[in-house]
Amino acid sequence: MQRLIAFIEQNIYIMLFILLQAICGVLLFSLNPYQQASITHSAAFITDKSNELSSTVTGYFDLQEQNKLLQAQVASQFKNDSRTSLYFMDDTLTLRDTSRRKLFDVLPAQVVYNTIYKASNVFIINKGTKNGIQKNMGVISSQGLAGIVLQSNENYSSVMSLLHINMNVIPTINNLEYYTGLKWDNLNPQTLKITGLNKLEELKVGDKVYTGKSSLLFPAGILIGEISKLETTTTSQYFTTYVKTATNFRNLDYVYVIVNKDINQLVPLLQEND
Amino acid sequence: MIRLIFYWIAILFLQFVVFNHLGFTAYLAPQVFIVLLITLPLHISKPYQVLLGFTLGLIADLFVGTPGIHASACMWLVIIRLLLLGAQDLKEQIANHLPYNVHSVGLSTFAATTASLVFFYHFYVFWLESIGAINGYVILFTTLVSALFTLTVIGVVQLLSDKASGEF
Repeated sequence: MQRLIAFIEQNIYIMLFILLQAICGVLLFSLNPYQQASITHSAAFITDKSNELSSTVTGYFDLQEQNKLLQAQVASQFKNDSRTSLYFMDDTLTLRDTSRRKLFDVLPAQVVYNTIYKASNVFIINKGTKNGIQKNMGVISSQGLAGIVLQSNENYSSVMSLLHINMNVIPTINNLEYYTGLKWDNLNPQTLKITGLNKLEELKVGDKVYTGKSSLLFPAGILIGEISKLETTTTSQYFTTYVKTATNFRNLDYVYVIVNKDINQLVPLLQEND
Repeated sequence: MIRLIFYWIAILFLQFVVFNHLGFTAYLAPQVFIVLLITLPLHISKPYQVLLGFTLGLIADLFVGTPGIHASACMWLVIIRLLLLGAQDLKEQIANHLPYNVHSVGLSTFAATTASLVFFYHFYVFWLESIGAINGYVILFTTLVSALFTLTVIGVVQLLSDKASGEF
């Protein structure tokens, strides 16, 4: 206590100085018009900046909710985009009739588990049978094709990623569908490979690779990736084509499950023909 | 004591009646009255020095209509003076209740301390006055011209006080 009193006694002039400086500050900024205008201007600037900072910080608090809203919005756009949805005419006699029924529906989901370094990569999404998800439904990301549902339980589904050695997608390049599989060779988590494309085909690096009409799981026109390298040898008749995936599997957070609403009617028809 | 009061009144009169209205140029606004704080007797306690600085600054503010500016600057001057004097050996002067002037501490020490304080004071005042429309070059030039003028006047005052009585 005595030390405290001694400290205060020794430094009382500093406290007095601070107190009187505060009084000077009040006098300065309340009675001098230029300084007053200046501090008002500075205060407005600081308020603006602090509000900006505050909104930046608080913006994170509802980021998850915003993501869900955004995902729902993207899903809705997928549904309404004529390039990625197929439509059936209800009345084949009136082709111009606008009453069209969509074949594909889109369900947003979030990835809760994901691997990319295994030979058989699988990711798990937070939607299951409760949400209408079943085996063999296509899954896309906002960037492009992502995988196919392997199995579902009530709340979750596992999805075979494009980075799975058993995955096989029929690619469409420059509006031509090539009936040779697009596969992952378990080397690079961003590169798929197509073998057996004839060297006479007009292919070049940068060509986009899309899904075609030979699958009931995806609408035609879903981006798979783009050709990153074309390899061949003088003795070979074929290209080995490398495709960089559109979907970044290292950073896969939100996906959309494609639901073919008429799959139960379409599959028996195909099986009968087989 | 009477001599001291006369000295204060004379310096304040010169400041408020003459130096505040020189009008030669906008760059010349000498604050000669700060010599009163610079030459304060060394035995005065620190809180009194701060209070004295505040009061003198407020009086100066009254005459130029800048409430708070000189009061704040005078207190800073007192604090910086205390710091500078703390680094000097002034035990003898304090024991003899001498003021801080050229005769008690010597020309070089007094000149260095005074020049530092005068330049600081002018810069601080001109900077505070120009808040809202700060022009660095104008502040520096005004500081330079006014501080040199003030230092000249302080030199003359020291010279005169020497001739007159050997005090102050």
